[in-house]
Amino acid sequence: MRRPLDRVSLVAGLAISGLGVLLLLDRTGVIELQFGYGLPALLACVGAILLAVGLEGPRR
Amino acid sequence: MSANIGDVSAQPRPRLLRRDADTGLVAGVCSGLGRRLGIDPIILRVGFGAATLVGGTGLVLYALAWALVPEEGGRRTTVARLAGRRETWLVVGGSGMLLLSAMLLLREWGLWFSDAIAWPVLLAGAGAALIWRQSAAAAPAAAPPVPQRVRPDRPPDPFRARRLPTPALGPAAIGAALVIAAGLVFLWLNDALAPARDVLLAVVVVVVALTLILAPWWLRLVRGLSAERAERIRSQERSEVAAHLHDSVLQTLALVQRRAGDPREVANLARRQERELRAWLNGGRPEPGDSLAGSLEAAAAEVEETHGVPIDVVAVGDAPVDERGAALVAAAREALVNAAKFAGGGTGGSISLYAEVGEERTEVFVRDRGPGFDLAAVSEDRRGVRESIVGRMRRHGGRAVVHSTPGQGTEVELVIER
Repeated sequence: MRRPLDRVSLVAGLAISGLGVLLLLDRTGVIELQFGYGLPALLACVGAILLAVGLEGPRR
Repeated sequence: MSANIGDVSAQPRPRLLRRDADTGLVAGVCSGLGRRLGIDPIILRVGFGAATLVGGTGLVLYALAWALVPEEGGRRTTVARLAGRRETWLVVGGSGMLLLSAMLLLREWGLWFSDAIAWPVLLAGAGAALIWRQSAAAAPAAAPPVPQRVRPDRPPDPFRARRLPTPALGPAAIGAALVIAAGLVFLWLNDALAPARDVLLAVVVVVVALTLILAPWWLRLVRGLSAERAERIRSQERSEVAAHLHDSVLQTLALVQRRAGDPREVANLARRQERELRAWLNGGRPEPGDSLAGSLEAAAAEVEETHGVPIDVVAVGDAPVDERGAALVAAAREALVNAAKFAGGGTGGSISLYAEVGEERTEVFVRDRGPGFDLAAVSEDRRGVRESIVGRMRRHGGRAVVHSTPGQGTEVELVIER
């Protein structure tokens, strides 16, 4: 039986994966992640997860 | 004529713009817009995507449409649905973090007005939103009165009405603090606080000095007010106890004096008064209709009053009365009536009702020390025990067992699963 799409998990997974990719690229030297970009990325990640949880409503 | 009416009703009504989340990919904005405009949603999706790549306008427009356009099926807009929900704070927090992230990025890229304008505006906007939301939520129409249980046996709390609604004050206070902080940040970033610094320092020094001078008086005043409040509460409690004693015990004693010649009536009055005092001292049970134990006690009191036979009631545990519970109470009442009729008074002694309300089952035992009877000898047309007790319990998924030996009393056992 196919499970219904869990939007919160999807958004949280994508956001954390995106953050992880950024950190990995920084670690490998492909990009140089400065504080001025790292903080907005972290905020965007947490904000997206909070927004997804809030829009999903109470879990039953 | 009827043909005309039919023609008019057959005309298609103009379609309103609605999001179609069922067929849409994200929130159904392009799907709904395409249906409204009569074009393929894919074209609109490509347009939104292109606009997103060029400066992000498409994303902003899509988010606005998602928030403001209602969904198909008569549902309200997302903004309207979110207002007043508990999850609103999560949405506001998440949106705020995304906004902050975007602002920090714009600042990093140099697409920025000035720190002296942007941050105070952001703070003031957040504070104003909090205050506006709180003032809207505090409107009388938006706050329906919560039904509260009235306890006539307890004195009203005279300070309850004067207490500030702290949960309602919290967000408004945070909002006000944010707005003030925004003003201070703006003044500080624009170097306008320097002239006020000396004045502020003087004010702080004067406030500290006054606090040191006035602190002992203030502490004494606070303690005096607390003592006065405690004394007032004690006085009200005393008045309440005196009023209750006057209304109940003294009235009953007067009745006892007046009817001293009728021992049965005097015993009834004493029992009734005892029940009332016990209930008052125990803080009162819930209303009989809400409580299984209360309903059993009320039924016992009613039988006791009607038949003039003392009934001892012991109830362990309690639960709300549902359909099964109501049947149990009715069966117990019938058992009490039978016990009062056939075993009460004379040498029968008292009747006892023991109820144990558990998580899984409720058991009630009605015992008397009357003459007892043989259940098999009861004729079929007597419906008291067979129908009102045994049959009723069986119909509601419970069971009733009558243990009776002639000459040794009767015990009716009522059990119902919960």
